[in-house]
Amino acid sequence: MADNRRHAAVLGLTFLLLLLLPQLATALSKPDLLTLGSQIAIYAIAAASLDLLIGYAGMSSFGHAGFFGLGGYVVGILAFHAADNSLFLGIVPGLTDAWLVWPIAIAVTALAALAIGALSLRTSGVSFIMMTLAFAEMLYFLFVSLKTYGGDDGLGFRRRNALPWIAPRDDVAFYYVCLAVLAIFLIAMRHLVQSRFGMVLQGLRQNERRMAAIGVAPYRVRLAAFTIASAGAGLAGALNANLLRYVSPDSLHWTMSGDLMVMVVLGGAGSLYGAVLGAAAFVGLQSVLAQWTEHWMIAMGPILVCTVLVARRGIWGLLAGRR
Amino acid sequence: MTALLQVRGLTKRFGGLLASGGLDLDVHQGEIHALIGPNGAGKTTAIGQLAGEIRPDAGTIRFDGQEIGHLPVHRRVALGLTRSFQVTSILPAFTALENLMLVHLVREGHPFRFLRSARQDLGLQRQARDSLAGLGLLARADIPAEDLAHGEQRQLELAMALATGAKLLLLDEPMAGLGPTESLAMTEILRRLKRQLTILLVEHDMDAVFALADRVTVLVSGQVIASGPPDAIRADPAVREAYLGAEAG
Repeated sequence: MADNRRHAAVLGLTFLLLLLLPQLATALSKPDLLTLGSQIAIYAIAAASLDLLIGYAGMSSFGHAGFFGLGGYVVGILAFHAADNSLFLGIVPGLTDAWLVWPIAIAVTALAALAIGALSLRTSGVSFIMMTLAFAEMLYFLFVSLKTYGGDDGLGFRRRNALPWIAPRDDVAFYYVCLAVLAIFLIAMRHLVQSRFGMVLQGLRQNERRMAAIGVAPYRVRLAAFTIASAGAGLAGALNANLLRYVSPDSLHWTMSGDLMVMVVLGGAGSLYGAVLGAAAFVGLQSVLAQWTEHWMIAMGPILVCTVLVARRGIWGLLAGRR
Repeated sequence: MTALLQVRGLTKRFGGLLASGGLDLDVHQGEIHALIGPNGAGKTTAIGQLAGEIRPDAGTIRFDGQEIGHLPVHRRVALGLTRSFQVTSILPAFTALENLMLVHLVREGHPFRFLRSARQDLGLQRQARDSLAGLGLLARADIPAEDLAHGEQRQLELAMALATGAKLLLLDEPMAGLGPTESLAMTEILRRLKRQLTILLVEHDMDAVFALADRVTVLVSGQVIASGPPDAIRADPAVREAYLGAEAG
């Protein structure tokens, strides 16, 4: 029970800090903090969705950025066609309303994940890691080759997706939107991992043969998890494109998949909320270290190694204790 | 009397090794049928094929009047055919209770419920407690499975297999790694189960086999060399030479 109280305290403080971040940014006259905050919230969604796979299902997907970037490109491409009144593939008109665009981004990534997962999940272990990596790289090169949508240079657009009651240029409001989406996403994920489906998923991580022997069809359960997690990455990608008003192939590069994995491990795999701490630590360290040197990964590497060695359950485990 | 499980011509080859060489086997409703043989005789491979983990090269498997040779593991479980493993196979990070809850929730057929909490589900908890109580594990319900004693883990595994609602249990060396007292306890548990369901028992512990089995099939190098009541098997000269004699000498 003491553990539970400690959980609630760590979680409550984290969210209180995030809630007050805009005020903090004003008080310290560091407006950059706000952008960093939005970035943290967005990465936290992507990392939490990856944690469902790595921490709960025991499926180390190395292609999560593929879905993150794909979600972003849905936003970018629809904004591009809305701006010049043209049609995507000659049939789909451009869109800028968030309540339409974001669900479409989620649906498109979920469909892509269903197809990619259906093939990748025929393998397991290292082959699965390589399959997911290969598919994400295919998506990367697909978008590099699409010159209409900027190719290598990426695709910028002028306005964020329109939300009711919220001014598109209000950065503080957009930050709170990201935070709200993160909160809703985490609540949904918490329910998911504690549901029947979540229990079966964790059973599969521990002992697949045993699970089959009690009547579980592993493939279908894993495919559902892969699709749900990837759709979460697509949602995060859509928010990310909105934050930056720009998408580029970098967002689907394998290094992005690696960054998300680092966030999961840093925060503590299998803890879900750890993803928020992992994303905060990653974004914070990156912005601090990048002021010193362009090669900030040189310093990030040892920090990651130390975290893994000292706290096997990541920052969340360090702060909130076991489980 | 038709057999609950009817195996004909089951054949499996691993490279040059013939693990099952045209195996015929009948397991009748309500009996404990022991499958014995020296190491490497192909007992575990046979179990693997019956459970659906290993695809046979040839042969038919009829269970409860239905051909099941092409079905995946989980479909066979749904029909009432479940196995246990030679090496203890449980979910180590879950408590004993959670291990059983998982079996019951899969059996209820709703693994795709995404929102309602499973751990708080009182119905599942009650079923799981009943299952644990059946094997005397109720007092250990909240202990993580990895922290249970080895004998308790074997009982937990058996409880899980039972909770699937199996008509036929394929038990692969349930006594493996148990001390003499624990072996006797396990023998007693299996004897009690005899009235409820049918068991195909692979076991090296001959005391247990001859105490429990209604019929015994002896496997040597993937071939059945004898099959019949325990007394006949004990007296069979071919068996004595190929197996029991070898062990005695």
